[in-house]
Amino acid sequence: MIDRRQFIIRGATVAAGAGLASGLGLRTASAADTIKIGAPFNVTGALSSLDAPALNGAKLKVKEINDAGGIGGKKIDLVIYDTKSDPTVIASVASQLLGSDKVPVAMGFTDSDSVLSLGPIFQQAGVPFVTPGATSPKLPSQIGNDIFLACFGDNVQAAAGAQFIKDKLKAKTAYLLRDNSTEYTTLLAKYFEESFTHDGGKVIARNDYKSGDKSFTAQISKLKAMSEKPDVLYISAMPDDIGLIVKQMRQAGVTQPIVGGDGYDTPLLISVGGKAANDTYYSTHAFISEESTPAIDKFYKAYKAAYGTVPENAFAALGYDTAGLIADAIKRAGSEDPAKIRDAIAATKDYPGITGSITYPDGQGVPQKTVTMIGVKDEKLFLAGEVTPSFIPKP
Amino acid sequence: MNMGLYIVQQGINAVSLGSLYALVAIGLSMVFGILRMTNFAHGDMMMVGAFGTLLINAAGAPFWLAALCGVAVGAAAGVIVERLAYRPVRGAPDVTLLLTSLAVTYILENLGILIFSSSPRNFPIPDIMNSAIQLAGGQITFTAINVVTIALTVAALALLGWFVTRTDVGLGMRAAAEDLGAAQMVGLDVDRLIVVAFAIASAFAGLAGVLWAAQSGIVEPDMGFTPLLKAFVAAIVGGFGSISGALVGGYVLGALEILIVAFLPSSVSPYRDAIVFGLLIVFLLFKPNGLMNRPQEVKL
Repeated sequence: MIDRRQFIIRGATVAAGAGLASGLGLRTASAADTIKIGAPFNVTGALSSLDAPALNGAKLKVKEINDAGGIGGKKIDLVIYDTKSDPTVIASVASQLLGSDKVPVAMGFTDSDSVLSLGPIFQQAGVPFVTPGATSPKLPSQIGNDIFLACFGDNVQAAAGAQFIKDKLKAKTAYLLRDNSTEYTTLLAKYFEESFTHDGGKVIARNDYKSGDKSFTAQISKLKAMSEKPDVLYISAMPDDIGLIVKQMRQAGVTQPIVGGDGYDTPLLISVGGKAANDTYYSTHAFISEESTPAIDKFYKAYKAAYGTVPENAFAALGYDTAGLIADAIKRAGSEDPAKIRDAIAATKDYPGITGSITYPDGQGVPQKTVTMIGVKDEKLFLAGEVTPSFIPKP
Repeated sequence: MNMGLYIVQQGINAVSLGSLYALVAIGLSMVFGILRMTNFAHGDMMMVGAFGTLLINAAGAPFWLAALCGVAVGAAAGVIVERLAYRPVRGAPDVTLLLTSLAVTYILENLGILIFSSSPRNFPIPDIMNSAIQLAGGQITFTAINVVTIALTVAALALLGWFVTRTDVGLGMRAAAEDLGAAQMVGLDVDRLIVVAFAIASAFAGLAGVLWAAQSGIVEPDMGFTPLLKAFVAAIVGGFGSISGALVGGYVLGALEILIVAFLPSSVSPYRDAIVFGLLIVFLLFKPNGLMNRPQEVKL
């Protein structure tokens, strides 16, 4: 028996190794007269419903730039890797991009944990990295000045959510449920509580679960047994879980509005939640529909033409903006030197993205953008508001 | 809410979760009992069963029929894997079988990604299964799918119990689990027994896959991974290789996971898994062969 247990452990090690080896994925061909932009994304695994649209958005923008002649006559070559939502694969892909592909700049990911796995390797090499959708405002201070966000930080969206709850939903007490297994969900929950309590709101109970859980019944039963009922539920969740959580909540007879962050911005919210998704609200980067701004409408149609499906969520638009932002910086840098590209990105002022204009104040890696609140009614998304929060917690 | 009702509610939650763990663990334990092999690909039969159901349902078959076919597809996949991958290396050192099953897992999961893409898909079930049942004025709620899960688990177990105690093939399987070599010597067709064991174990995995997908509303190629890990724990707690042990282990694990969240302060729930696995280590220190196994000689 003892031997067998050791075999299991060795088996697990081998499994990890195999995951590492399979990181060598799809990538496009490159020629000498192209400008490379690294593009590691979690096209498979737990984050695929956010990362795959982001990558598609980036590919669309790159194609538009290349069709218009590229940058200074050079075409952009997007060097794509599937990092499989797996930190070990992400780290090996990072070394690959820097060591053998020698990219001068890269973009990728929609979650903070993935950027934390890759960022330090890029920082050490002095190569700038822009993330379309990882929203931890701490990333640049944790990793360094080569890391940029193309989106607002979680402190901003949590504050927007708190303000929306107080102003629009007129709620004073909240129940806070969070996924304790990711940086994104724990930070979002912390910023929410800070913002909500800052002017008068009260979090009357909290609970935790772990991403991948399929039964939330224990937490829900406990919530229902509370003597004081909260006005609203703030649930800090990852995309794969939220549809199921709202479904189980509503099945158990929990009727309060449910509010959360941009992790909800996935088709799974409505496809899995169904009717249960009604009366759910979330903060995100843009409202992607035909009835939105002209710029988004144009993007919406181009995306549909290219991929045969409408943009799945705001991350598609963020990917599109990030590729454009990097191309704009390379053009202004007039060089493929990583340090010059980094300085050009930091100097970005009023880049007209479809998810809002992007400026890095004082060269900080987190831009200031307005937050879009989306709601669900009759199993359809609607624009519930645009919020510029008055109080924003410190990163 | 009164405490008695709260305990009943959490009890229902625990039995429902435990049933799923038990279903997966039983198949894992059955194969281990006969072949002394840890079948990593067991979780993938869940995926095969769930996707089978999804496709057959999408092709127009009613859900119940599709689910039945899905379970059969899961069983067939188990038999095919046994024939193609495990039989050729049977008799090789244990580690060879283990690595083979790891390889099968990788192949099946990546095949799933190639065919269905890795993004999770919605798993539609009839509305009636989603309907909530309320007792005591809404203080106790559960869904039809919870009831179906528990009922099917009990039915499947009863059938298995009858099979291994009352039929020749079932008795043969138990003999093979006791000692494969001796079973062969007394003239049992061991190849056939192993095929039957894989078919039953994989049908259980297929059933668990359909129920798991129905409860979570999602199917994805790597959906078998987490349940496999939980089933491992359940099987080890119960005593690896023992069918009744896997059953008990599954319910113990389900109950523990629910109880920690239900009755300890919320500040403890982040440590749920740490507590569960910590208890597992302590438990194994005192009962290394699990709840239901007699102490075994170490065979080297």
